Amino acid sequence: MDLRFFEIYRRSDYLLLLLEGAALSAALTITAALTGMALALALSGARYARLSVLRHVAAAYVEFIRNTPLIVQLFFVAFGLPTLLGYQWPFWAHALLALTLNFSAYFSEILRSGYATVGTGQTEAAAALGLKPRQTFFKIVLPQAVAKTYPSLVSQFIFLFLTTGVIAEIGVNDLTQAGKFIDSRTFRSFEVFFTLTLIYILMSLSFKGGLAVLQRRLFRWQVAR
Amino acid sequence: MIDIQNVRKSFGDLEVLKGIDLTVERGEVVTVIGGSGSGKSTLLTCINGLEPINGGKITIDGTEVHARSTDLNKLRTKVGIVFQQFNAFPHLTVMENVTLAPRKVLGMGRAEAEAIAEKQLRHVGLADKLSTYPSRLSGGQQQRMAIARALAMSPGYMLFDEVTSALDPQLVGEVLETLKMLAEEGMTMILVTHEMSFARDVSDRVAFFHKGVMAEIGAPDQLFGAPRHPETQAFLSKVR
Repeated sequence: MDLRFFEIYRRSDYLLLLLEGAALSAALTITAALTGMALALALSGARYARLSVLRHVAAAYVEFIRNTPLIVQLFFVAFGLPTLLGYQWPFWAHALLALTLNFSAYFSEILRSGYATVGTGQTEAAAALGLKPRQTFFKIVLPQAVAKTYPSLVSQFIFLFLTTGVIAEIGVNDLTQAGKFIDSRTFRSFEVFFTLTLIYILMSLSFKGGLAVLQRRLFRWQVAR
Repeated sequence: MIDIQNVRKSFGDLEVLKGIDLTVERGEVVTVIGGSGSGKSTLLTCINGLEPINGGKITIDGTEVHARSTDLNKLRTKVGIVFQQFNAFPHLTVMENVTLAPRKVLGMGRAEAEAIAEKQLRHVGLADKLSTYPSRLSGGQQQRMAIARALAMSPGYMLFDEVTSALDPQLVGEVLETLKMLAEEGMTMILVTHEMSFARDVSDRVAFFHKGVMAEIGAPDQLFGAPRHPETQAFLSKVR
């Protein structure tokens, strides 16, 4: 079999499609990671809430997300909920919501494991200095928990980035969707999916590299060891 | 003035403080000695409200520590405490460790807080470590930083809970020197310690705790020279 990479991508609109797809995949993953992190903070905090209802709701939510497939969550958000609540959003918005919900559950569990590694001596010292529980959490516990669990957060981020391909299933023009489209037009499956693989690898490694740089900047105190 | 009246404290079935009475006047240095499990460290954590009490009362300058209406965070700005484990905040520089509470609790601006922090850090001999992270400091330096951190709140009282017990022997001296300096400057302090010669040296009064009871209290020369209580005699003969 002869390979025809050049002939496929000579048509600049296919290349452009891949680039746009890659940009959308990256943008959705990064945005979902940020909003997911914000939600994860609230969720992990709710696990320590004085109100037991709040604790149980947060725990149930986390279990629900972690024990159902992403694609089902996606269909639920994109097709299930709109039927019930009657809203119509663009495809990417459904995808963003589903990814955010997914991120939040996993991130909150990772954060929770991080809180547990911060010793009681730290919170006691903070209390002794007159810091309120909220200040102690944001100034003392959270930064150390994030630093300690940073590698896990990064793995989770990369893992979800790689699974974002499923959002093609609800019609989002992400990277996988671009590949599927080009494949359907050219029938050059090897070339197309080989290219896709390469792009995913490059993007994953770039994310990892970027997040490692961020780690060194954010947690200089750990490097100082 | 710290006034401790008939304070009782239990952890479950175990009563660790069985009615402690102690009054510490402004400018006074009181050291508490005794075996492990005698309740001496627990007393310190009760004084600044980190631990609730089961009976009696503790008042600091007229404010009852464990009263429901008492703002503990506010009270704690008046009573500094330094622990056996230094509890340095590892993610903050020495300067940030010391400025955190003045800024967040007292609401100081950065410049003002840094000026105070620098003064206190110079005081304990760490003026050249301002932008260093705690992991780069020795145990003795970390403990001195913890002392500066407490002092930066300008507390009226300082509590020291076995602050040299976790240190390598060669680092104990530098921390004791710092404590001695504070004592000489007139800081009101309650120290729990195992350093007997230090206690004898700096204290106005020494209290001996035994099984949750303050068995004896007196001037250092009296308590160390001529202990009255048989348990004090037994304890001192063992640690000497």
